[in-house]
Amino acid sequence: MTTIGQRNGGLDVMAAYIQARNINLAFRPSQRAPVRALAQFDLDVAEGEFLSIVGPSGCGKSTFLNVLLGLLRPDSGDLMVDGKRIAGPGTDRAMVFQEFGLLPWRTVQANVELGLELKRLPPDKRRAISRPLIDMIGLSGFEQHYPHELSGGMKQRVGLARALATDPKVLLMDEPFAALDAQTRDIMQAELLRVWQQARKTVLFVTHQIEEAVYLSDRVVVMTRRPGHAKKVFDIALPRPRDYEMRVTPQFNDIKLAIWQSLRDEITA
Amino acid sequence: MALFFALWEAVFLVVPFNPLFISKPSQIALGLLDLVSSGDLAHDLTVSAVPFVYGFSAAVLVGVALGVVMGWRPRVGYALDPLMTVFYASPLVALAPLVVFFFGVGVGGKAMIIFLLAVFPFMFNAAAGVRAVDRLLIDVVRSLGGSERDLYLKVMLPSVLPYIVAGARIAIGRALIGVLVAEFFAASEGIGYAIARFGDLFALDRMFACIIVIMVIAVVLTQGMRWAERAAFPWRRAAG
Repeated sequence: MTTIGQRNGGLDVMAAYIQARNINLAFRPSQRAPVRALAQFDLDVAEGEFLSIVGPSGCGKSTFLNVLLGLLRPDSGDLMVDGKRIAGPGTDRAMVFQEFGLLPWRTVQANVELGLELKRLPPDKRRAISRPLIDMIGLSGFEQHYPHELSGGMKQRVGLARALATDPKVLLMDEPFAALDAQTRDIMQAELLRVWQQARKTVLFVTHQIEEAVYLSDRVVVMTRRPGHAKKVFDIALPRPRDYEMRVTPQFNDIKLAIWQSLRDEITA
Repeated sequence: MALFFALWEAVFLVVPFNPLFISKPSQIALGLLDLVSSGDLAHDLTVSAVPFVYGFSAAVLVGVALGVVMGWRPRVGYALDPLMTVFYASPLVALAPLVVFFFGVGVGGKAMIIFLLAVFPFMFNAAAGVRAVDRLLIDVVRSLGGSERDLYLKVMLPSVLPYIVAGARIAIGRALIGVLVAEFFAASEGIGYAIARFGDLFALDRMFACIIVIMVIAVVLTQGMRWAERAAFPWRRAAG
């Protein structure tokens, strides 16, 4: 196994659960100049860690999640999850999408069971998995509803349950709460922490909101502007379980400010 | 509706129209009864239904297949779209004599005219449906380990189906025009031929009876389609 110099990681290289080394990726739209999205991107994530990525718009945060998900192939670089190289989509990883990505012709239950259905699980086994998940996200009684009958918050709960249904090791979240109103967003953040504490997944969470990142995460990665790579990693040494009141403590605000200052240089420069 | 027929009937009490040029509801009803009891109507409808079924089925198959390819492959879409638009927008009825010349009097020629009129709504709607498929949903299914076949069955098909059904509603009306036009031009039986013949014979009561039957069929088919649509796509109730 080749170990390339550790640039930005905070954790032991060999132990890292997710290892990204020198990832490069450029988009090549036809008849236009290529756009470099990721350049020498390195990242280490520990198993069970909640890690957020913040960065300027278009810095490649979402691109990295899509690479990790296996939907995009990097031009070069090594990407390992649990010692295995990423070669495409796999059931060890699942994504929660910003725009929910629910299939409008499927009920709540059928949406939650989508991944299980694609794994060719028989209906009774699917039900056995989906029922407790639907309970957990608080949508019992809505199993036969269609997405258009749900509020934004409810839709994203379904998105979360669908991602958890295949029992992935890694949960990728691409600005999952950006389409929700502020109050719903606060509630969903608390819910997510509760679910994460129960399920102990490794979470990679992309967001534009520094406060959200600090509130949820063990560590926050600030990315440079495009072509993006990790600029600085902040350890969030706030105790858990975290509550809403914690957001108004001086300690919380100090962290927010430090991250903002690091990020500001990338936005304004 | 009842008022409309009542007024129509009432006008005849006042104005002495020449029954050669216009008829009234009571006579039309008698004519209809006559056509039904003699079996002529059933016979004509059966004769017309055969090319309708052939032409319409061919329109579904060819239209959807071509439309999907046009929507999925932008180059094919660009290449075919202008030509197809010309055919769709122009009065294809003008080609009817030519079609009859090529395909003969009878089921072949009729089915061809019906096909030509009905195929384009299917084609354009299927293409629009494929273009409107949400890329995000494709990513979702792929990321959860879905195969190419899963993409077609679980994303493409359900997205495109409502567009095809909407196309079918338009196509039904056009296909019925096809039936009549084909039978006006060249036929010896069928509901369109019956209308033309009764017109020529100044048997206006029976001509109107046939016209009303065609109208009822058109409404029933179109409305039936709407009901089927609502039953089959419950997720579109709020959006639609």
